[in-house]
Amino acid sequence: MRTVAQIFAAWCVVGVVAVADAADPVRIEVMPKVFKLDSPERDVHLIVTGYAANGDAVDLTRDAMFASSNHEVVAVENGVAVPRGNGKAVVVVTVGGQHAEASIEVAHFERREPVSFRYGTLVALTKQGCNQGACHGSPSGKGGFRLSLRAYDPVLDTETLVRETFNRRVNTVEPETSLLLRKPLMELAHGGGRRITKTSASYAILRDWIAQGCQPDFDDAPHCVRLELYPRQRVLHRPAKSQQVLVLAHFSDGSVRDVTDLAQFSSSDEAVATVDEHGLVTSETRGEAAILVRYLEIMDTAYLTFLEQIEGFRWPSPPENNFVDKHVLAKLHLLQIMPADLCTDEEFVRRVYLDVIGMLPTIGETASFLADTSPQKRTKLIDTLLERPEYAEYWAQKWADLLRLRDAKMSAAGVRKFHDWLVRAVATNMPYDRFARALLTADGHTYQNPPANYYRAAADTLDCTETTSQLFLGMRIQCAKCHNHPFERWTQDNYYGIGAFFNRVQRKKVNTDEMIVWVSRSGEVTQPRTGRQMQPWLPLAGDAKIAADADRRQALVDWLVRADNPFFARVEVNRLWGYVMGRGIVDPVDDFRDSNPPSSVELLDALAADFIAHGFDRKHTLRTVLNSRTYQLSSRTGPLNQDDQKYFSHARTRLIPAEPLLDAICEVTGLPEKYAGLPEGSRATQLPSPDMGCDFLKVFGQPARETACQCERSSDSNLSQALQMINGPLIHGKVRSEHNRFRQLMAEGKNDEEIVRQLYLAALCRQPSAAELRAALGHVTGSGDRVRGLEDVCWALLNANEFLFQH
Amino acid sequence: MQATGYGLRATGAVATLLTLALFAAPATAAEAPKTVSFKRDIAPILVKNCFACHGPTDPKGDYQLHTFAALKKAGESETASVVTGKPDDSYLYQLISSSDSAERMPKEADPLPKDQVALVKLWIEQGAKFDGGDAQALLTTMLPRKIHAPPPEKYRLPVAITAVAFAPEGKELAVGGYHEITLWNVEKGELLRRIKNVEERVYALAYQPGGKLLVAAGGTPGVSGEVSLYDPEKGALVRTLVTSADCAFGAAFSPDGKQVASCGADRSVRFFDTASGKQQRLIEDHADWVLGIAWNHAGTQVASASRDKSAKLFDVKTGEALVSYTGHSETVYCTAFGADDKLVYSGGADKKVHAWNVSDGKQSTTMSAGGEVFRLIVDDKQIWACGSDKAIHQFVVGDPKKEARAFKGHTDYIYALAFHAASHRLASGSYDGEVRIWNADDGKQLLVFRAAPGYEPPQTAKK
Repeated sequence: MRTVAQIFAAWCVVGVVAVADAADPVRIEVMPKVFKLDSPERDVHLIVTGYAANGDAVDLTRDAMFASSNHEVVAVENGVAVPRGNGKAVVVVTVGGQHAEASIEVAHFERREPVSFRYGTLVALTKQGCNQGACHGSPSGKGGFRLSLRAYDPVLDTETLVRETFNRRVNTVEPETSLLLRKPLMELAHGGGRRITKTSASYAILRDWIAQGCQPDFDDAPHCVRLELYPRQRVLHRPAKSQQVLVLAHFSDGSVRDVTDLAQFSSSDEAVATVDEHGLVTSETRGEAAILVRYLEIMDTAYLTFLEQIEGFRWPSPPENNFVDKHVLAKLHLLQIMPADLCTDEEFVRRVYLDVIGMLPTIGETASFLADTSPQKRTKLIDTLLERPEYAEYWAQKWADLLRLRDAKMSAAGVRKFHDWLVRAVATNMPYDRFARALLTADGHTYQNPPANYYRAAADTLDCTETTSQLFLGMRIQCAKCHNHPFERWTQDNYYGIGAFFNRVQRKKVNTDEMIVWVSRSGEVTQPRTGRQMQPWLPLAGDAKIAADADRRQALVDWLVRADNPFFARVEVNRLWGYVMGRGIVDPVDDFRDSNPPSSVELLDALAADFIAHGFDRKHTLRTVLNSRTYQLSSRTGPLNQDDQKYFSHARTRLIPAEPLLDAICEVTGLPEKYAGLPEGSRATQLPSPDMGCDFLKVFGQPARETACQCERSSDSNLSQALQMINGPLIHGKVRSEHNRFRQLMAEGKNDEEIVRQLYLAALCRQPSAAELRAALGHVTGSGDRVRGLEDVCWALLNANEFLFQH
Repeated sequence: MQATGYGLRATGAVATLLTLALFAAPATAAEAPKTVSFKRDIAPILVKNCFACHGPTDPKGDYQLHTFAALKKAGESETASVVTGKPDDSYLYQLISSSDSAERMPKEADPLPKDQVALVKLWIEQGAKFDGGDAQALLTTMLPRKIHAPPPEKYRLPVAITAVAFAPEGKELAVGGYHEITLWNVEKGELLRRIKNVEERVYALAYQPGGKLLVAAGGTPGVSGEVSLYDPEKGALVRTLVTSADCAFGAAFSPDGKQVASCGADRSVRFFDTASGKQQRLIEDHADWVLGIAWNHAGTQVASASRDKSAKLFDVKTGEALVSYTGHSETVYCTAFGADDKLVYSGGADKKVHAWNVSDGKQSTTMSAGGEVFRLIVDDKQIWACGSDKAIHQFVVGDPKKEARAFKGHTDYIYALAFHAASHRLASGSYDGEVRIWNADDGKQLLVFRAAPGYEPPQTAKK
């Protein structure tokens, strides 16, 4: 056996050139430091990290030299420690003049282990993409060959691979000639093209599995319990721009296997960083990327941040209004994104009115705010607005969307009662934990106890499962109804486990309009694929122990509202944030998953903690956000922040939602709409349901309330909207009306300039600039018809982006 | 300059061709081919490499070459595929010889071997002549039959049994093996003979009524298929009736033994004259693989089973499709006629046997068979069905709702089933290589053996 010293000596001769390009680390680290290879089939990647004097890390895996102390035990090939015989060896890693050691033990080298069906064959097929949704994983398969989506159903897959169509796909006599190999190799024509090469780990696994007779796994075969990633979190500074990720799978028998070559990798943000099939992450630009690692249904995430010195960037050290700004600014500083300036008072007054009460300020309100000289005037205005009755109506409407208030679902009278309840809940600032409990544990007559309509809208166990998961857990779990979720950790078992909280809910119509909801004492959910009876199951907590005759919904809510619940508070503060900021910290706001990480974990955690500490007080959280400098930043961007879409460096311009937009048009023209069944002068934001609405609202994205998904409210622009605004009957009627604002002003004897100024203030909350005023007056005078000229000005203002957009 | 280059290239190609011929066909190596034969040299290349995307259905780029006539027609590129004498102007040649992997054919695969590209070139230079007879015929029917690889001396692992057939006197059983048909003594399970020169898999076996022939349908999945006649006594190939680009799944003699009907992955139903081997009719009426075929007792109709989820009834004389039965809504694997030829029984992935009327295709009744039904036997009193639930289900004709009994013993999918009427025995074969012989009436198992010559099971079963 050679000594370490001898190995060093050998390097002095041969090994110097390779490290010439590596950074100059003050120390290096190798992972894993200790590893056991307990089968001749296993190996382990050695990940080498160099640390600079200032602590910055750099991935040196591909620059390092490796030498084994005993080549009869371990050899190192391309940075992978490969077993050669039983015993122990030390691998010495050298790079940049630094050394580190990994101890590798090899045991059971004589053991010939059959390929595991699950952890060999199915993992390989998944890795190569064979069973993805677009290929053989689609419900009808491809080319007569169907696999379960990402291997959620191993029993079905073994039948399909081995026995379907008379054992056609595999050949145990001459394994290499199996269709299962020749097709993806493109030795035989394959609609999916080439998916595998003969040198890949997947090819060897599939071939060996076939050669061994296509054996299924033993019933008690060890199963993977978790993944361990290295690094799990890392910040890399340019010029460092790549990082190898190591994936270790921990099995139920205590063994640990390196599955880096077999795991699947994906990046949460391909614009920031891409990841290849070997787990090598390469940065494209500065920013953060979550690298989702998947090994069958087990997943984990590595968080990588890539930083870059941006030329001309100087941190302006803006003041912080509260902890929101602390977290937002810290991230912007780290990523070298310039925060925008504070918005003007004109911008602020328009923005905050629209966000908080869904209305434009009146000319008088705008004027008095602009005239106020108090340094606290923004805070004062926020406080005032949060106490306005319109605040309750506007925010009740948002919940009415999610709770699907529709005549067809809960009858017109039922909708009114439920809507009244929601408005009252917001007006009285009902704590969110109580709000959730009222909905989720509701019993009785839907007239007497309107929250019971929750179970009227969610009319069966599956709907309850999906709605509750999405609204209160931010989990879009629908996929798991039929198969394990393809992009998330949630399995089909989990879906029906959540369902077990709801399947005892009973519903009965007492008359055509009213329903009674109650909970029976028994009834279980059966998982349709396995036929197993499911226990009530809580995400990340496991099966819930609940007394046999207890209302399981109570147990669910008890768990939801616990201070340590990882979903409940985060989902709600994120939703509130999303409403006023135009984008969630997690976005879409109801799609929390490992592969869709928050743009700032710290910010989300801080908001959630503050929310819980204040007794789930939604008004408090809104007030905190609205008072932050972050909320009050301008929407104007510069070269150092114009690319930012998710770190809140500037206000996000967005189309005003349908109802406030219609109300704003009514306000500017001075002509309210009429809604059937509502009193004269009612606003669109007061509508209990879209049944009373109009086409204009639908065109601008008012949801039909078919689902509990926030995504149902469309915020996209489209051609119909343009047609509505340019020459739709609603706009046309209001601009032409004898009673509209500018005609009233004319009747009052106001001159053109006074009228134009009023229109600007009403629509844009600001005075026209000199140029705008000149142009408007010029047009009125030049048109030869004063009324037509002012009509045009009014029309032009309503069609201006500055009017249509929140900014 | 141009002419010299041309000459040099041509010489090179001929040299390659000589070498190729020497290696590929040692039996005929003495005489090197002077001219390229489309049928012998070009069609096999096209079938192997191009057919899947440019075949009879859903062609890519709107270009097909499943027949010679189609091959000559330009696809959506509207560029002539073959210009006689001018390979460089022929789009087909341009694409297979391109150095740009993005445009080169076959797509997303290794380029064709240089010698094959040279062959195509030479063929075009020599005038792109067609020597295959009917320009409308599928290229797959022109493929020369190859001599098949020998079976394993000893089986390392048993192979799935996908075909069994009783010899007429009932003493011998033919079993499909790997590149062979094995013949076994029905009383003792002893191996009698091994027939070689057989396709990799055998999906159907049938003895000639009143004759001495054995017909086998089989193939190498995704590569080739054939229907061949063998002499089971001598263990020799008599004649190959047809070859195809994927497996043949079914073959059956007419009751008088004078005709063979076959079916396969090419969606075809074919009829052949047994004595001459001449194909009498080709029917392409199914939309997907045809997995099973059966004659009626009068020899006037056949019933086919297909992955297109239908079973169909054809008139033998006219080739006319009489009935299309779509009641399974899943793959149909097998068909059989009732004793009076008035009902067709079909079995499928819907785990049922359906009985339907020959006259109008209306469903008469269905029987539940526990699992997918792969094979079906019907005699005048009883029905036997086997499949994925590892049992043979016995039903009584006329009282279909009641299952008489299930023959249990197999521990895996039963892919093959045969009946010997005189001795009233059934033979079944399963995925794990087992063959079992049963008393067809009471389900008593008479014999079990593993039809894998030389196979030695592991000494200690490892848990």
